[in-house]
Amino acid sequence: MTRALALLASSLLLAAPSRDGGFRDITQAAGVNFQHHAAPEKKYIVESMSGGVALFDYDNDGRPDIYFVDSLTVDTAGDPTKARSALYRNIGNLKFEDVTDKAGVAHPGWGMGACTADVDGDGWEDLYVTAVGGNKFYRNNHDGTFSDVTARAGLAASGWSAGCGFADFDRDGDLDLFVSRYVKIDLQQLPQFGRDKTCQYRGIPVQCGPRGLPGESDFLFRNDGGLRFTEIAEQAGVADPRGLFGLGVGWFDYNEDGWPDLFVANDSGANFLYQNQKNGTFKEVAFPMGVAVSQDGAEQGSMGVALGSYDNNGRFSLFVTNFSEEYNALYHHEGAHFTDLSFRSKTAASSLPFVGWGTAFFDYDNDGLLDIIAVNGHVYPQLDKVKLGASAGYRQRKLLYHNRGDGTFDEVAAQFGAAMMEERVSRGLSAGDLDDDGRLDIVINDLDGSPQILHNEISEVGNWLIVRLKGKAPNTGAIGAIASARTGTVTQKRLVQSGSSYISQEDKRLHFGLGKAAQVDSLEVTWPDGTTTKRENVKANQVIEISQSQSPQ
Amino acid sequence: MTAAVLWLAVVSAMAATDASPPQARAASPRPAADRQATLQLAQKALAAGNRAEAKRLLASAAERFESVEALLQLSRLQSEDGDAAGALGSLRKARAAAPNSEGVLSAFAQMSLAAGAPVPAILALESLARICPTVAQHHYLLGVALMRAGDMPAAVDALRVAERLEPDRALTLVALGIALNSGQLYADAKPFLARSLALEPENVDIVAALAEAEQGVGELDAASAHAQRALSKSPSHATANLVAGLIAMNQSRYSDARSAFERAVAADPQSPKAHYQLSLACTRLGDTAAAAEHVEKYKQTLREYESRVKALRAATGPMRDAPPKGRDPKPRESGKQ
Repeated sequence: MTRALALLASSLLLAAPSRDGGFRDITQAAGVNFQHHAAPEKKYIVESMSGGVALFDYDNDGRPDIYFVDSLTVDTAGDPTKARSALYRNIGNLKFEDVTDKAGVAHPGWGMGACTADVDGDGWEDLYVTAVGGNKFYRNNHDGTFSDVTARAGLAASGWSAGCGFADFDRDGDLDLFVSRYVKIDLQQLPQFGRDKTCQYRGIPVQCGPRGLPGESDFLFRNDGGLRFTEIAEQAGVADPRGLFGLGVGWFDYNEDGWPDLFVANDSGANFLYQNQKNGTFKEVAFPMGVAVSQDGAEQGSMGVALGSYDNNGRFSLFVTNFSEEYNALYHHEGAHFTDLSFRSKTAASSLPFVGWGTAFFDYDNDGLLDIIAVNGHVYPQLDKVKLGASAGYRQRKLLYHNRGDGTFDEVAAQFGAAMMEERVSRGLSAGDLDDDGRLDIVINDLDGSPQILHNEISEVGNWLIVRLKGKAPNTGAIGAIASARTGTVTQKRLVQSGSSYISQEDKRLHFGLGKAAQVDSLEVTWPDGTTTKRENVKANQVIEISQSQSPQ
Repeated sequence: MTAAVLWLAVVSAMAATDASPPQARAASPRPAADRQATLQLAQKALAAGNRAEAKRLLASAAERFESVEALLQLSRLQSEDGDAAGALGSLRKARAAAPNSEGVLSAFAQMSLAAGAPVPAILALESLARICPTVAQHHYLLGVALMRAGDMPAAVDALRVAERLEPDRALTLVALGIALNSGQLYADAKPFLARSLALEPENVDIVAALAEAEQGVGELDAASAHAQRALSKSPSHATANLVAGLIAMNQSRYSDARSAFERAVAADPQSPKAHYQLSLACTRLGDTAAAAEHVEKYKQTLREYESRVKALRAATGPMRDAPPKGRDPKPRESGKQ
């Protein structure tokens, strides 16, 4: 690992980035006025967990648009119109237009998260929104509108859904859907705020749960074609009959056998890593693979998941955000297994005071090494009334980790603008280049009030390449494809994912930081069906599209 | 540390003072003389080897004169005879007679701790810490009791107060270091452990705790050296073996890691961490059966630990923290005092 990183550093010859500009909050200037709703006191856990954010190009104009998920409260639960999720069309120049009403995606109910994919293979991205009391599947009509086809597709689900992600787990060419579910909750019989000791924190009453409340099983919907799905979680072995509290989801082929595997972050329980058995079933292997619990065997309050080959070893490691007084876990993929390198990588200690949610591996300075961001915020507003010791308060700053290239990270949020240090109650996060300037921006959905669009304005960054993959129908979005960009002796890998971070969707276009390199020497795409496409000498600083159907194999 | 040994410190501190209620002493000079005579008789009986008679006399003095001193001496004898329940009963009576007596509260807390009952100890020590906020020992013992109850953040708070009041006490420093290690605050723990090691260079628990902190911050050479130093003196030391195992895992020496974790498990079979790491070492060695067995043992010890802490928390009243967000507490290694 060290040798590879040293070679990368010498080949890219990148100077340290200038901090000038950093990340600037452009939310208002961009025309984004979305407000996420939540009850002020968060007396019930169901009022603390929303919401996700999706970056996806719904109108096929090449620019990532934004969908923010809104939630109801116990008081407004009877009227779905009290929550207004919002779709913002990217009209260029960092300006956005609210197209929610025209699109018809304003009221999915008590919204939680979102994931996107071209599910019906028509070349247009569809939208799936998880919610409390029934999810929504919005089919893209190609004209700026969506149709709610949930019932017809059989994708409603019930209970409290949280994370979601599409993948072709059975390799039949079309996309299937996994949905994690959280707590079993009856809005008519909610656990009473502060009712007993499990609903108290430092001597004050707080919301109950998730511990002490029953959990929900999870769903796997097999795509049967014709926009119809069958729920098969139990027979596939991913139902979670014990009902752990499922949140973040990450599909990836961890054992590189060509079949998508699945990681599920469980709150207050051991995480799941489902190994695809290539016969329609999965085997749960999180313990032997070393990603179930923390290094000391603690079941952590896992929320968000990021996947990335941060040391360019060709494998995707896992970064999992956790509750306060727990550390965010960096599980390094070593080939046959994962190793918890959280403390050795210097990402753990700084995360202990924070409750972590949305997260991403992203190369913010284009030096060819994936950095990490994690957004935070507690679940108890009552915290601000008590002595906290070393723990952070209800509102919390972000964590930004710069990859040093030697397996360790520096926490550098304070160097990248006031927006990074502003204390907020954040949840969903998605990374993507909103203005095609080659620098990755960040979009965050907060629990209370307005979101944040953080424009990357770091003045000295490396060269870059953005790759949009177009797969064969029906998986036109090439979900599950891997692009490998070789520069000199170093190869960076990126994965096209549906569903990531904390119940969110990141931009599916693949971003490579190239440092000083003027070109990618070799760019190879491994498509979900195992075929490959190769390009040589691809010039830096451009957005390119590679199509599976038109490519020489 | 045995109950009897702990007890010596308590009684010696109280030997010169009868903690009977002041009003009882002032209003009844004759009974006071009788009480003193009875206590002397009890001492003579004890010196003659007649413990039963000594206990009878002390019980009589306690009942007739409401003598807190008699109750304290009685509880000592009961404790030495292995009658922890009787000893705690005597101390409860003493506490009822003199609820704000520093000596009684301290004795009660220490006896509770020695008897493996941290919850009543915590409640007594919290009172003591409020009554006598500048006495480092009370904050130290409160920290120790909180560690045993699994409440590491609160333990750290109490031990930090103790350390401020008495900065150069090795016991406080190592307890604080171990509590910080348990909260994975290894960088914070290291300086306290280094200071305590300077004060007590031969203390194997301190050497092992320092190794754990160094391993946590990635100083693997130093951690390895300290772990080996601890193991040379105490080959079965749980923490030192855990650290040695973790270092071996980092270096892909899975067979060595497995051996070290097996020793850690043998030394502390209730440690979920040791079982979990042992399962990982077995997996790396391809011994899936053993790995599965230790995952099951890990889960079992985790549930037992959680049940234990839950029961403790249920008894401590609303002043203590509930686990964050209703979560059960994490499996943390208890300090070895």
